[in-house]
Amino acid sequence: MLALINRILDWFKSIFWKEEMELTLVGLQFSGKTTFVNVIASGQFAEDMIPTVGFNMRKITKGNVTIKVWDIGGQPRFRSMWERYCRGVNAIVYMVDAADLDKLEASRNELHSLLDKPQLNGIPVLVLGNKRDLPGALDETGLIERMNLSSIQDREICCYSISCKEKDNIDITLQWLIQHSKSQSR
Amino acid sequence: MGSFRREKDEEEDGPTNAYQNLEKTSVLQETRTFNETPVNARKCIHILTKILYLINQGEQLVAREATDCFFAMTKLFQSKDVVLRRMVYLGIKELSSIAEDVIIVTSSLTKDMTGKEDLYRAAAIRALCSITDHTMLQAVERYMKQCIVDKNAAVSCAALVSSLRLANTAGDVVKRWANEAQEALNSDNIMVQYHALGLLYHIRKSDRLAVSKLVNKLTRGSLKSPYAVCMLIRIACKLIEEEDIPAEELADSPLYTFIESCLRHKSEMVIYEAAHAIVNMKNTNPRMLSPAFSILQLFCSSVKATLRFAAVRTLNKVAMTHPAAVTTCNLDLEGLITDTNRSVATLAITTLLKTGAESSVERLMKQISTFVAEISDEFKVVVVHAICALCAKYPRKHTVLMNFLSGMLREEGGLEYKTSIVDTIITIIEENVDAKESGLSHLCEFIEDCEHVSLAVRILHLLGKEGPFAATPSKYIRFIYNRVILESPIVRAAAVTALAQFGASCPALLANILVLLGRCQMDLDDEVRDRATYYLTILNSAKPELYKNYIIERENCSLALLEKALADHLNGDLQNHFDISIVPKAAIVKPEITNDVMMVTSAPRAPKITREEESAARLAQLPGIQVLGPIHRSTAPIQLTESETEYTVQCIKHIFAEFVVLQFDCLNTLAEQFLENVRVELTVPEGFIIRKIVPCPKLAYNELQTTFVIVEFPRDVSSSIATFGATLRFVVKDCDPVTGEPDSDEGYDDEYMLEDLDITVADQIQKTKKNNFQVAWDAADSEEWLQAEDTFVLSAVNNLQDAVNTIIKLLGLGPANLSEKVQEGTHLHTVLCSGTFRGGIEVLVRAKLALSEGVTLNLTVRSTDQDVAELITAAIG
Repeated sequence: MLALINRILDWFKSIFWKEEMELTLVGLQFSGKTTFVNVIASGQFAEDMIPTVGFNMRKITKGNVTIKVWDIGGQPRFRSMWERYCRGVNAIVYMVDAADLDKLEASRNELHSLLDKPQLNGIPVLVLGNKRDLPGALDETGLIERMNLSSIQDREICCYSISCKEKDNIDITLQWLIQHSKSQSR
Repeated sequence: MGSFRREKDEEEDGPTNAYQNLEKTSVLQETRTFNETPVNARKCIHILTKILYLINQGEQLVAREATDCFFAMTKLFQSKDVVLRRMVYLGIKELSSIAEDVIIVTSSLTKDMTGKEDLYRAAAIRALCSITDHTMLQAVERYMKQCIVDKNAAVSCAALVSSLRLANTAGDVVKRWANEAQEALNSDNIMVQYHALGLLYHIRKSDRLAVSKLVNKLTRGSLKSPYAVCMLIRIACKLIEEEDIPAEELADSPLYTFIESCLRHKSEMVIYEAAHAIVNMKNTNPRMLSPAFSILQLFCSSVKATLRFAAVRTLNKVAMTHPAAVTTCNLDLEGLITDTNRSVATLAITTLLKTGAESSVERLMKQISTFVAEISDEFKVVVVHAICALCAKYPRKHTVLMNFLSGMLREEGGLEYKTSIVDTIITIIEENVDAKESGLSHLCEFIEDCEHVSLAVRILHLLGKEGPFAATPSKYIRFIYNRVILESPIVRAAAVTALAQFGASCPALLANILVLLGRCQMDLDDEVRDRATYYLTILNSAKPELYKNYIIERENCSLALLEKALADHLNGDLQNHFDISIVPKAAIVKPEITNDVMMVTSAPRAPKITREEESAARLAQLPGIQVLGPIHRSTAPIQLTESETEYTVQCIKHIFAEFVVLQFDCLNTLAEQFLENVRVELTVPEGFIIRKIVPCPKLAYNELQTTFVIVEFPRDVSSSIATFGATLRFVVKDCDPVTGEPDSDEGYDDEYMLEDLDITVADQIQKTKKNNFQVAWDAADSEEWLQAEDTFVLSAVNNLQDAVNTIIKLLGLGPANLSEKVQEGTHLHTVLCSGTFRGGIEVLVRAKLALSEGVTLNLTVRSTDQDVAELITAAIG
């Protein structure tokens, strides 16, 4: 009974305080971007994913917030197009494979060159270190240091260590995202 | 689209185009709307329509504009509006060739093509195929295969057609889909079956065995779709044509039996296709043709206009190849003259003109003139072609026909139409001496008021060539000089050249011409002034031999090679003078007659180049080829092996002044062999010297590679006709048929006998075309020219036309004044022909023929070299 009342309440809320946000999900290939979208959308995790050729568009409703996610392929040929999809979004989510230390440098360079684009000035960035369940994966402090995140001063930036497989820290990630939809609309 | 219709309704004051005054930049500005959220579907559809309209009106987008527009469009994938999504597909297809990074939508499109919404799927496949290059194809291959065998016919068709398009760029990937295509071939849907056959045929096209297997299987009647049966008929025809089955065997061939059985198919389309195929076949006999013609005859009286049109059009096309059979349909054609459909009527009349008797010409011409003004240009051209054929058949009717043509010339019409009329008149003038004067005066009248520069230039050129030899040359000068006063610079320049021709060929008019050319020197245009000055200088010199070489007979360099030689000269040492003699002369390029109607796929026509130009480019890669001088002539390839043997070799002879370069194109048809150091060893008669052998280092399976041998001709021209023995020598290494890699480094020498190779007189002669043979012939009656004469009896031939053809073929000369055509029913004929022997030695030949028991031939050869003249007379004997 209580659950029903809650749902009706949620529905009313969504009518009156309906919010929309748009975010772009980028990062090197095989870092878990499409997996992440699937996890926050339906809670389903699959091991064998095919590489994204181009982009996926997903709309996810969480509470009274509708999140529109542009999930862009991470292969080198698509990286030049990231910027086009980052313009004017509420937040950029940058996915890093925290367990693949060899690719960290490439990942750092791509992130910094993306954020250097004048068109993307001031857009908040959330860096996610995925695959923390794997042995040898970096934690937040390790990532902040290796990705040189402290050098980014002109915008809001945040870093979480998550695991899509274990669904670790997905909740705080969502919270961060939802907060940013509010901060934008104000 | 919806909004388009609505706006039209709102327009009260007559129909105007809502999209008429669109501006590209403002429309592109509007694409910003695509980024707004939520997406306003109606507004976006309207903007997309504008973009599509602009592109289809020929507006050019630069890459940056297109890319921005494209990426803005990708944002619309978030909308679920069906109409909008389908507009986005159209936009993707239009922009895919201009915008960059279009592969970004691959994932979205694959999702749509495999999704549940049937309205999306077929269109998504077509859009996907337009953005996919062969590197991306692997990623979508799985989905394409699924879609080919999809149970939804529209999806399956879209996948098949898209595969066919992809096959042009990524043939090897599409080949792997043959199994799916085979499955689709069994579909119940007529379009799916048709497209599946199209794809299967395309995949197997290069493998004749596989194609005939496919056809044999399908001809046993498993096809339901009439479209597929039509396609099958075309494929079968192509096979018949390729195999070149003689008429007596054709009737029993299963392919023909199939086509013949299609004449009794229940679909009219198939019946027509079969009849059309049979009447267009090369090797047929009257017995085989008659059922096909009865079908066409039947269709002529059909109530359906399309069938009547198809039948008449086919009859019209084959009227010249099968006149007797077409005549049997004359009664039906007569009935169609008054057909309400003008196109049918025109075709019927022109067909009758082609086949009809001389007496009916006037009646038919009268009939056609009643409505010639009402038909479209395209059909007017058909009429003109018919008249052209008629003139060749009934030369005596030229006055009627010429008057008709000049009437048509005076009416409005496009360039193509006018060109065909002028072509016809020129042909008549060339073939019929009686018609020359009247034809020229019609043309003169035409250029007085001619808006087509290219035609005016052609006619002026013709007047320059023919006018001086007319009865009163002076009357043409007024027409020509009028052009100098009234026309654009290009026409003025042509007119100046034509005037100079009169000055050079008519001494009586020279003084007047000099005055006129003097006035032309005041012209505003550089080219016109330059020409006038050039001709004035030559004409003032009063040296007839200068006239001949620099005005009357300009040497025709091959323009493509002249351009290349000049470019080379500019890149090289400019201290040396440019030598025009190294540029080969242009050969007369005859338009190739191909049987277009039977083509299954029509490839874009390659620009026409002569064999010499083609081989010059290839030979330029040979080191040291320059010392041989300019190429004189290249022969057509000849086969030195039977087809379907282990190795096939064909030879092209490139003749230079003192050398012959033999080009051997070798093909290895053994998959388990890898050949190295492939070369041709020649045994040459005494006098010939082999200067160099350029072997081909590697010859893998199914690759065409080339090896060359350079042979020097003997000094003595009379022994330059020879037969070479030829052997192909090479090192064989066994290899893995799959990878083509040799199994080991060990190989063994082997050889393969080739057929003998002849060097003939014709090989060494390049055709030339003299416009006024008589002038050249008379001029050759001088000191530096030598003459050889002989009389032969040709017993092998029994009519004059055959004799003429044999002589021209044997000597490789170009006939002049249309003397290669023998009038019917005469016993005497003279052939005039000319050419250039290697080394630039001019040859003129006059052959007088008389028909008695056999054919008696009196051959007179004039040449600047005695040995050459004797060689040519000896060649006939």
